[in-house]
Amino acid sequence: MLSEEHLVQKAVNGDQAAFTQLYNQNFDRIHRYIYVKVRSQAEAEDLTQDVFIKALESISSYKWRDLPFAAWLFRIAHNRVIDHVRKQSKEKRASLDEAYAKSVEDPIQMTERNFEVYQLKEAMEKLPEAQREVATLRFISQLSIAEVAKTLGKSEGTVKALQFNATASLRKTLHGKING
Amino acid sequence: MVRKLDDIFNECYERIRSGESLESCLKSYPEHAAQLEPLLRTTLDIGRRASYIQPRPEFKHWSLVRLEGEQHYNHISQQRQPAKPGRFSLRQSWAIAVAAVLIVLLTGGGTVIASSNAMPDDPLYPVKLATEEARLTFAVTDAQKAQVHIQLAETRAVEVETMANEGKTDQAAITAERFAEELEKASLAIANVESAMGTALPSTTTTEPTLTEPQPPTPEEGPPAPPATVTDEQPPKEPTTPPATVTDEQPPKEPTTPPATVTDEQPTPSKDSKWDKWAARRALFKKSIDESASKSLKALENAKEKSSPQTKEEWQRAIDKIWEKGQEREPDKNGTWEWKRDWNKDGNTPTPVWPGQPSTQNGNKTWNGGESNTFDPSQNQPYPSR
Repeated sequence: MLSEEHLVQKAVNGDQAAFTQLYNQNFDRIHRYIYVKVRSQAEAEDLTQDVFIKALESISSYKWRDLPFAAWLFRIAHNRVIDHVRKQSKEKRASLDEAYAKSVEDPIQMTERNFEVYQLKEAMEKLPEAQREVATLRFISQLSIAEVAKTLGKSEGTVKALQFNATASLRKTLHGKING
Repeated sequence: MVRKLDDIFNECYERIRSGESLESCLKSYPEHAAQLEPLLRTTLDIGRRASYIQPRPEFKHWSLVRLEGEQHYNHISQQRQPAKPGRFSLRQSWAIAVAAVLIVLLTGGGTVIASSNAMPDDPLYPVKLATEEARLTFAVTDAQKAQVHIQLAETRAVEVETMANEGKTDQAAITAERFAEELEKASLAIANVESAMGTALPSTTTTEPTLTEPQPPTPEEGPPAPPATVTDEQPPKEPTTPPATVTDEQPPKEPTTPPATVTDEQPTPSKDSKWDKWAARRALFKKSIDESASKSLKALENAKEKSSPQTKEEWQRAIDKIWEKGQEREPDKNGTWEWKRDWNKDGNTPTPVWPGQPSTQNGNKTWNGGESNTFDPSQNQPYPSR
């Protein structure tokens, strides 16, 4: 199996199969990252697709030594979301109707899951921006501390502190709702 | 040195992600367990909720299809080579056909129907292209292929016009390239039909082909009936009478009269009939192509007029792509017919022209001077004589 760096290098050199593999490796987590930041499923899908098209257009100029690939990709996603959100009105972004978990066949379970995702989005929105960014990359998209630090251009120590504080805030919000 | 709590919390979170239990991690830091436990449980709760967020499988799939399409075209443009036929390779065509059928079966056709009006910048456009590929896969004979390619050229023309009107240079250029490909493929398929007809023995009679389902152009049957989408009219009942849509400008004076002096070997009456039918159909094909090309060119020229100086060159490239396929070519020695360029560069109304039609303006930008739409078999050669 190819190392990620080797795979990325092949994609940089125009290997279409390598790029497709990177797409498959990163698609879900990029989509999740975007989904918790925008209002609707449709917006999340449009932006996710935009991110990969932008990545494809720019991959030839990508250099591993400057930034790990995941960090590079999430920077594209971050910038794309920022551009998008700026254009939106400041109405409440979380939407219960648009929540996911639609693959579950049991309608009761599906409703419960949708509500839990909705609560998560709402709780994330209440965080200060720096904490929200770290929590999204770390807990939703499952990036490593080093990748988050590179993506955000912060030190690992700062990211750990933001992660800790974000978790404490999320606990208050989520537990308050779940356990009364 | 005392470790900071956020560092310990991070270590525990990583260990749990790697498969270790929460309890095991807390045992490593009993002095912080009371603080760490609720926080780590919160991260588990967040992870569980986040796992419910999954992209729709069809979105993920079609997003990849679109991306591969972009890769394909980027690759081509980087190499600065002429576009290869079609958006997908031949090896993929059957897979695409099967996938399209599966989509229709699984979604009740909703996605495919929804994609039918998709424009090149729509997310569903790859579905539309895949559906078209499937249609081509099921077109077996050259006549059927010609019919499908002409219909696809009409579709591409509408897309070029829309993209041009919206000022979308890149999409218009790519679509113009696709339009040109359809022209070339239609031309090839028609040439194949006529080649087969030209070498056929005219003696045997068989059943007439149906009007709605074109049959292979066997020597006995002649070419299939004109496609409904091209003409919007039924083909003539009398095989020797050209359809109204071809001759509405001015009908042929004596459509059944073969030219007397063009060849030494006169076609038999039976074969005349086949050729006349084919000639009528071919005229419809050609008229459709000419109208599509004119429409596309006009829209591109208008877009170029309105564009900034920086993008004028790009619009011109899109125009040139269509022009390249309209280059005039003479019928070969077997009488094989090829498309002639008879729309002009300003996108004016096309002028139907038959091969062999006398013209002093070959090579000019407007065939037949743009003055007459007349088809007159008594003066011109409506089909290659054998």
